[in-house]
Amino acid sequence: MNDTIIRTENLHKTYTTGKVKTHALRGVDLEIPRGSFSCIVGPSGHGKSTLMHLVGGLDRPTAGRVFIGGEEITGLSGRRLAALRARRIGFVFQFFNLLPGLSAEENVATAMMFAGVPEKVQRDRSRELLALVGLSDKLRAKPSELSGGQQQRVAIVRALANDPDILLMDEPTGNLDSESESEVLAAVAKLHGEGKTVVIVTHNGEIARRAERVIRVKDGIIVEGY
Amino acid sequence: MNIPKLVVKNLTRRKGRFVFTLLGITIGIASFVTLLSLGGGLKKEIRKQAAELGANLVVTPKGWCAYEQVSVLTGEQLPEGIPFSVVGKIAAIKGLTAVPYLTERTAYKNNPVSVIGILPEEMKRFKNWEMEQGKYFATQDEKALVIGSGIAGQFELKPGDELTVKGERFPIRGILKETGGKDDIAVYMPLSVTQKLYEVGSNVSFIAIKVDDIARIDAYILKIQEAANVAVVSDKQLLKSVLAIVGTVSMTLQLIAAVAILAAAFGIINTMMTAVSERKREIGILQAIGAPRGTIFSLFLLESGFYGLLGGIFGVVGGLLFSLFASPYISQNEFTTLIKGGDAAGALDLRIIFGSMLFSVAVSLVSGLYPAWKAARMTPVEAISYE
Ligand SMILES: Nc1ncnc2c1ncn2[C@@H]1O[C@H](COP(=O)(O)OP(=O)(O)OP(=O)(O)O)[C@@H](O)[C@H]1O
Ligand SMILES: [Mg+2]
Repeated sequence: MNDTIIRTENLHKTYTTGKVKTHALRGVDLEIPRGSFSCIVGPSGHGKSTLMHLVGGLDRPTAGRVFIGGEEITGLSGRRLAALRARRIGFVFQFFNLLPGLSAEENVATAMMFAGVPEKVQRDRSRELLALVGLSDKLRAKPSELSGGQQQRVAIVRALANDPDILLMDEPTGNLDSESESEVLAAVAKLHGEGKTVVIVTHNGEIARRAERVIRVKDGIIVEGY
Repeated sequence: MNIPKLVVKNLTRRKGRFVFTLLGITIGIASFVTLLSLGGGLKKEIRKQAAELGANLVVTPKGWCAYEQVSVLTGEQLPEGIPFSVVGKIAAIKGLTAVPYLTERTAYKNNPVSVIGILPEEMKRFKNWEMEQGKYFATQDEKALVIGSGIAGQFELKPGDELTVKGERFPIRGILKETGGKDDIAVYMPLSVTQKLYEVGSNVSFIAIKVDDIARIDAYILKIQEAANVAVVSDKQLLKSVLAIVGTVSMTLQLIAAVAILAAAFGIINTMMTAVSERKREIGILQAIGAPRGTIFSLFLLESGFYGLLGGIFGVVGGLLFSLFASPYISQNEFTTLIKGGDAAGALDLRIIFGSMLFSVAVSLVSGLYPAWKAARMTPVEAISYE
């Protein structure tokens, strides 16, 4: 088994808005070992989210290559990329992670639907997972009826619903108070303990201290920690 | 979770918008169904009446327009434009039977009633009439009435009763057996009595003609025109001009329905476009948790298709109810004053029902194409970064 689960080769990403070109990434080489807990830090607007999106198959690089578990995903079709996101990668974003029309339970179940899980299993497993993060009494609550911390815990559970290898989080505690933040961090620590590969983009020094590896991004390149 | 469930949840999130958009397509389809069924009913009626006239040719005064010719079928009161002598001249031609009609009008208990002056013996043979109750006219100029079964039923009349026609009282001799057509809703009087009563001299309104050899119909037309200075229309032409008029009417109605449906389609497009832009971020989330573009496309397409399905069902039911209630009033026009029994809703067949539902679904699916395409075309990052 290859112990590098995420690898990028000379990754470039240029956004073109009208005539303006933004070089968000300018040659990123990254290797993340399986089962590790890494943090991506760096100033705002320097390419952290962009890097995460490319690694998770949510966007395509302008140049360079991305490997997940040794398989190159750069040239995959949209459908194959979607399947990859459904089964092998879990995303958590900073805000509004949840589908607002659906309850906590349905949000988790929907993620399983895209991985082809039968409905009966969807229900049992989403209840089980929500219980693990202490949300058994919020199964039917809509996102608008949940606190920020509870919403993020649902989002984490949903990211894990299909038992992915990799959990990618973009400032998951960015808009939480310290109590909610520690709830979320506890959940993350537990996952890492279970062997998941966790990558968190954050400005939060506390999280960065806990991480095994800190990757510092500046001006679209990695300046420390690869 | 499954796709249809997700679609329904999305659909009903904005209750007001859902209801109004649904109402739009429902009204569109309802008007479509109503007009189609009323139009179809009208056509059916006209055909039935033409068949009932039992004639191959109709002789009318020269210079009648299509509308007046059509009135022969509907039993409108017509000008008494043909002298009786013409009837004899035409009847003298070999190979045809000619019967004159004098169509007049009276009122009974505030209802308009058709009075038709006929030659009793000739008419009975021509139509193969049979009696339900009482007797037929005993002589060619008896001052009495024979009435259709519809009239008898409507006013609860029986042989021996009296009926006032144009201020004069006439005894009812008998009631005709039900024919299922407009013969049922007229009052018959010998021609000479009618002519005297309505002071029209020796004139009649039109002459119905049956020919022995239908293949030589053109030759008959020529012979008739040689014998008298009249216009001759064949039942086919008559039917054609009626259907042309009805066709124009129903085409106009269908155009109105088409406009209603078009407006509903734009309502759906508008609602779906709003939904797509409102749910940009959700589209991103769906993509992040593994929804392929095809699924995003079908989510939105099915959502708009649902409007068509529901609107189709409600619209067909609504249209059916409406044409059921409206047909007695709408049929009360120049064409169909006399067809009381003919309800247009009866013409609402399965083809209209399923055709309209399919049409509704098709319209809403087509309306959903562009919004769904917009939704599916969004890149995940574009959708995710949207706040
Ligand atoms: N969809 C886009 N279109 C155009 N430019 C973009 C797009 N997304 C990001 N950028 C630009 O690319 C650069 C990197 O953006 P990115 O979001 O990766 O930064 P970041 O490090 O995550 O910042 P923050 O800490 O504020 O989230 C920025 O200059 C940003 O303006
Ligand atoms: Mg960012």
